[in-house]
Amino acid sequence: MPVGIPTGTGKTEAKVMTSQSLISLSVVVLLWAVAWQLRSLKGRQAVLLAASYLFYANWGIGFLSVLIASSLMNYALGIVLRRQPTAGRLWISVACNVVILSFFKYLPPLLEGAPANALLPDFLHRIVMPVGISFWTFQGLSYLFDTYREEELDPSLLEFCLYMAFWPTVLAGPVCRLPNMLPQFRRLSAFNLADISVGARRLLQGVIMKTVLAQILASGLSPGSGVTAGFDQMKSGWGGLDVLLLGIGFGFQLFFDFGGYSHMVIGAARLFGMQLEENFHRPFYALTPSVFWTRWHMSLSFWIRDYVFVPLAASRRDVWWPYVVFVLAMTLFGVWHAAKATFILWGVYHGLLLVAHRLGQRIKRRQPITWPASVGALLSWASTFCFVSLGWIFFRAHDLDQALTMFRTAFLPSSYRQFALSTTFYILVPVMAIGYFICSHIESFLLDWSARYGEEFRHSGELGIPLRSTGSLAGVNIIAAALFNFFSERMWWWLMPMVLVLSVFISLAIFHQGSAIPVTPFIYTIF
Amino acid sequence: MNEQAQQIIGYILKEVVRRPGVEIHEDTPLVSSGLIDSLELVNILVKLEDVTHMRIPAAKVQPKDMDTVNLMFATAQRLGRPRK
Repeated sequence: MPVGIPTGTGKTEAKVMTSQSLISLSVVVLLWAVAWQLRSLKGRQAVLLAASYLFYANWGIGFLSVLIASSLMNYALGIVLRRQPTAGRLWISVACNVVILSFFKYLPPLLEGAPANALLPDFLHRIVMPVGISFWTFQGLSYLFDTYREEELDPSLLEFCLYMAFWPTVLAGPVCRLPNMLPQFRRLSAFNLADISVGARRLLQGVIMKTVLAQILASGLSPGSGVTAGFDQMKSGWGGLDVLLLGIGFGFQLFFDFGGYSHMVIGAARLFGMQLEENFHRPFYALTPSVFWTRWHMSLSFWIRDYVFVPLAASRRDVWWPYVVFVLAMTLFGVWHAAKATFILWGVYHGLLLVAHRLGQRIKRRQPITWPASVGALLSWASTFCFVSLGWIFFRAHDLDQALTMFRTAFLPSSYRQFALSTTFYILVPVMAIGYFICSHIESFLLDWSARYGEEFRHSGELGIPLRSTGSLAGVNIIAAALFNFFSERMWWWLMPMVLVLSVFISLAIFHQGSAIPVTPFIYTIF
Repeated sequence: MNEQAQQIIGYILKEVVRRPGVEIHEDTPLVSSGLIDSLELVNILVKLEDVTHMRIPAAKVQPKDMDTVNLMFATAQRLGRPRK
C-alpha cells in the first residue's frame, strides 16, 4: 500500500467496503452484545476475540494471519522475558517486532520502482502493509517493555490475543496498554446506562467531527477549494498566507479526522463498559510545544515518553543529552507514521521546537521578562499555535520539495502579497478555527455550570434542605442545571437513533470512494 | 519526613516547579497532575540517584513509579543498586 495522506481519490484506501463487510460489522456488534450476556469469563473473552478477528478479516485474511502471528510471537517472547527480564532478551524481543514492522511497512516503499530479479524476488513487490500494524505492534512492544519492568502482568494467551486484536482499536488505535485493558477483560460487567450515555455521546461527537467538520475542511465550500486541493492540485505559487492557512486548515482537519475517529472508537468501547486510553485533550489550547505533546495523539506520545524518552534521556548525565534525545524521540514519532523524508523532517522539526522551548525557558529563568501573565500566555499560545501549524506542512506535503517550498514561502514577507487559493478558503479556515474555540469555551462553561449548580441540587435533595428561593437567579440556575443534567445523563435515549443512522451512513461512505458523497477515508488508517 | 525526602522536595520546589504558593508533600501527585513534565522527570531521577547514592536503571522506571516522592523512594529501593 502506498503511504500518503488519503485524498478521497481512492488511491490509498485499504479496501473498498462492500455490503459483505457491512454484514460482518453487524455480526461483530451482535457477537459483542451476545458476549456481554455470557456468565463465563473465558466464554466471553473467546466470543470477543472471534468478533475482533471477524472484523479484522474484512481487510484481508492475510492481514489477519500477520496479526495472529505477531500476537503469538509477542506472547511467547513475554513468557521468555518474564522468566528472566534481562536487557539482552528485551532487545531480541524488540528486534523481532522491528523486523516484522519493517518488512511490511518500510520495505515496500523502498522497493517501489525496482525491477524484479534473482536478488529481488517478485513476491517482495507484492507485500501489502496490514492495516493498523504500527498500532498493534506498538501495543505488543509496550507489553514486552512492561514485562521487562517486572509489572505484574499474567495474561492468558486468549487475553493477550484479544488485547492485540481488540476490534475498536485494531485499525488505528488508541495505542492501548495491557495494565489498563487486562482488568477490564477480566471484569464481568453488565450493560450500564451511564456507559451507554457517555458512549453514545462520544460516538456521535466523533461521527460529526469526521463526517462534517473534517470533510468540510478537506473538500472546501466549493469543489476544489479545500485543504486537499491546496496541497494536491497546486504545484507552486502559494503565498505566505496560503501556506499558513493550509497548515492551520490541515491541523484542524487532522484533529477532526483522527480526533473524531478516536471519539468513535472510545465511544463504541464505552457502550460496552470498556474505558480506553484518551488520544486528544484540547491540543490547540496548548501554551507550549511540550504541553501540545501531552494533548495530541496522547496514546502514542506517552508511549514514546515512557519507553523511549525517559530511559534514553536518563542514560547519560551530560546537560545536552536530553536535548539530543528530544530530537531522536520526535524523529521516531515521525518515522512511526512512514519512512518518508517529509515525516522524518516533521519529527525533527518538532524535536527542535521542544529543544528551542526548553532553551527559551532557561534563558527566561536567567533574564526574567516582566510583562503581565496574560500577555505572556497569549504570546506563548500564539507562537506554539503558529509553529505547530507550520509543522503540518511537512506532515501533509507530497514530497520534500513541496514541503520546503511551502515552508520557505511562509517566512518570505513579500509572499504575503500573493494569494493563490479559492476566496472561500480564506473564510473557511478562520471560521472553522474560531468556531472550534467558541464551541470549546461554551462546552467548558456548560460543564462548569452544570457541575456547580447540579451539585447544589443533589446536596439539597440528599439533606432535605429546601432549594434557595426559586425566583432568584441562583434558584433558576439550580433548576436549569438539574434539567440539563437529567437530559444529558440520559442522552442515549435521543442520541442512539441518530448514532445508528449516522453509523450506517459512515460505514457505507467511509471506505466507498465511489459513493455519491465522497468521504475522505480516515487518515490514520494508513499508518 | 526524612532528610532525603526533604532534599528531593526542596529540589522540586526550587528547580522544577519554581512557582510561589505551591506546596508539595510526600504523596502529592507530580506526573499525573501535570506538575512535572518528561524532562523534569529525568532531572528528578538523576537527583534521586544522587540523594540515595544509588544507580537506578532508567529503563526499568515508569513515570507512574515517580508520581509521588514516596513512590520515588520506593522505586529507588526496589530497583537501585549501590553506586560503585
